[in-house]
Amino acid sequence: MKLSVTSLTKHYGAHVALQDLSIEVPTARVLCLIGPSGGGKSTFLRILGGLETPSSGAVSLLGEALPESADGLLTHRRRNGFLFQQFNLFPHLSALRNLTLPLEKVHGQNPTEALSTARAALDRFGLIDHADKLPSQLSGGQQQRVGIARAIAAGPRILFLDEPTSALDPEMTAEVLELIQELAAEGQNIILSTHEMGFARAVADHVAFLAAGHIEESGPPSQVFGNPTSPICQRFLSRVMRY
Amino acid sequence: MLSKQRLLNLAAALLILGGFAWLCVAVFTSLKDGDWNWSRPWEYRELLLRGWRTTILLSLGALAGSTLVGLLLLFGQRCGLPVVKWTCRLFLEFVRETPLLVQLLVGYFVIFAPLFSRTFESWGWNDKLVIGVILLSLFEGAYLGEILRGGVDSIPRAQWDSARAVGFTPFQIQRYVIFPQALRRVLPALAGQFVSLIKDSSLLSVIGVQEVAYQVKAYTSQTYGLEGYVPLVLGYLALTAPIAFISSRLERRFHHET
Ligand SMILES: Nc1ncnc2c1ncn2[C@@H]1O[C@H](COP(=O)(O)OP(=O)(O)O)[C@@H](O)[C@H]1O
Ligand SMILES: [Mg+2]
Repeated sequence: MKLSVTSLTKHYGAHVALQDLSIEVPTARVLCLIGPSGGGKSTFLRILGGLETPSSGAVSLLGEALPESADGLLTHRRRNGFLFQQFNLFPHLSALRNLTLPLEKVHGQNPTEALSTARAALDRFGLIDHADKLPSQLSGGQQQRVGIARAIAAGPRILFLDEPTSALDPEMTAEVLELIQELAAEGQNIILSTHEMGFARAVADHVAFLAAGHIEESGPPSQVFGNPTSPICQRFLSRVMRY
Repeated sequence: MLSKQRLLNLAAALLILGGFAWLCVAVFTSLKDGDWNWSRPWEYRELLLRGWRTTILLSLGALAGSTLVGLLLLFGQRCGLPVVKWTCRLFLEFVRETPLLVQLLVGYFVIFAPLFSRTFESWGWNDKLVIGVILLSLFEGAYLGEILRGGVDSIPRAQWDSARAVGFTPFQIQRYVIFPQALRRVLPALAGQFVSLIKDSSLLSVIGVQEVAYQVKAYTSQTYGLEGYVPLVLGYLALTAPIAFISSRLERRFHHET
């Protein structure tokens, strides 16, 4: 996966969320965004995932410029998967229906195909026993895993995960991180933001540190964690690694 | 402690029962001969039934009409054009801040009857009934629109985001994600609104729609009997109670889904 961003800026009214952000990632399977809250990780991910449009700047992903038209962005969202921190599932639909509905209505599968695709995806993550449950009957970790199953069911080119475990307790965090690691090992392209530094270090091919809407540090995990050059990044890491 | 509460409850029951009994005795002793004759409603059953059927027809018509008006107002207010948005808002405020009775009188005698009565009659329609349905639809639709808007607004942002993320089109987002959830949330309010609609239909007697309240008034003025009000009450209850019952059942069914 190749990513190239030059002078990306995003503001909401007068508020600047991303300020002249540039990054060059020649090749990576798993790209991890780390950094303090409010630093712009979510905004950056939402732009990459086609949920938000840049105010200015150029973004190229997998060698293609990000689309700008509404139709282009819709296509972009359909080719990729996106998972938020929480409340991803549609609460009025069973876990299974959460998967089959987009497969039928977005990806044009017929109900039989959609059912077998969805069941396969749930089965793969050990969720098949929960297929008929409503989201409110699942634990937070199970909900996130069903969310990931939905995001990868149609075979996305890139899976975007925005702090997928921030709302979970440690045990559920572990079960979700294991699943993400599994996907990474199988070769899924993933761009995620996380506060789990150990996970980022172990699983990422490339880590970017974002603060105040800007990339402060970017490189392989050994370099970013082992030998950061930016003072802000050094301070952040020494603080979060202390405990 | 518990037995004391039970004792108090018993005392309250006796008090209420006593009060009710006193009211009944007082009412029945004040009735004069001829006020209360149960052979007459049977004689006039055709008239009463005709009125009741008109009430049902009126309610069903206004149910469909007000749903349409409500949806139009919902989409109108979410429309990107400010003029459309503000027109809807103005209409809503006007309808909600004037009495239905006044709207019916003005709407019928000043606006609709002079403009459309002839046309409707020439088509063989009952002009009072049709205009009544339209006016009631506009009134109830304004409330319905506000209920629906509240429902849509109450759906958290995360649902819009998730629906966009899975690749739904704007229409699909509404159709598969927002609307079904909004509907579940506003179901009790919606049922309440439909009960109000049925009750409000009794006001259409002022423009001469021959629904059940109109017919009972006609009956009472012909027979000087008061017993006609009993079928009137029962006639409305027969329509509204099932809606309240079904609504509470559905509400329980949907409860765990959100
Ligand atoms: N929809 C929005 N409207 C206004 N400001 C926003 C919006 N989304 C994010 N921001 C602002 O942009 C900045 C970056 O936020 P975010 O991307 O959520 O950071 P992070 O995910 O790293 O915590 C924050 O200051 C935040 O308040
Ligand atoms: Mg965030």
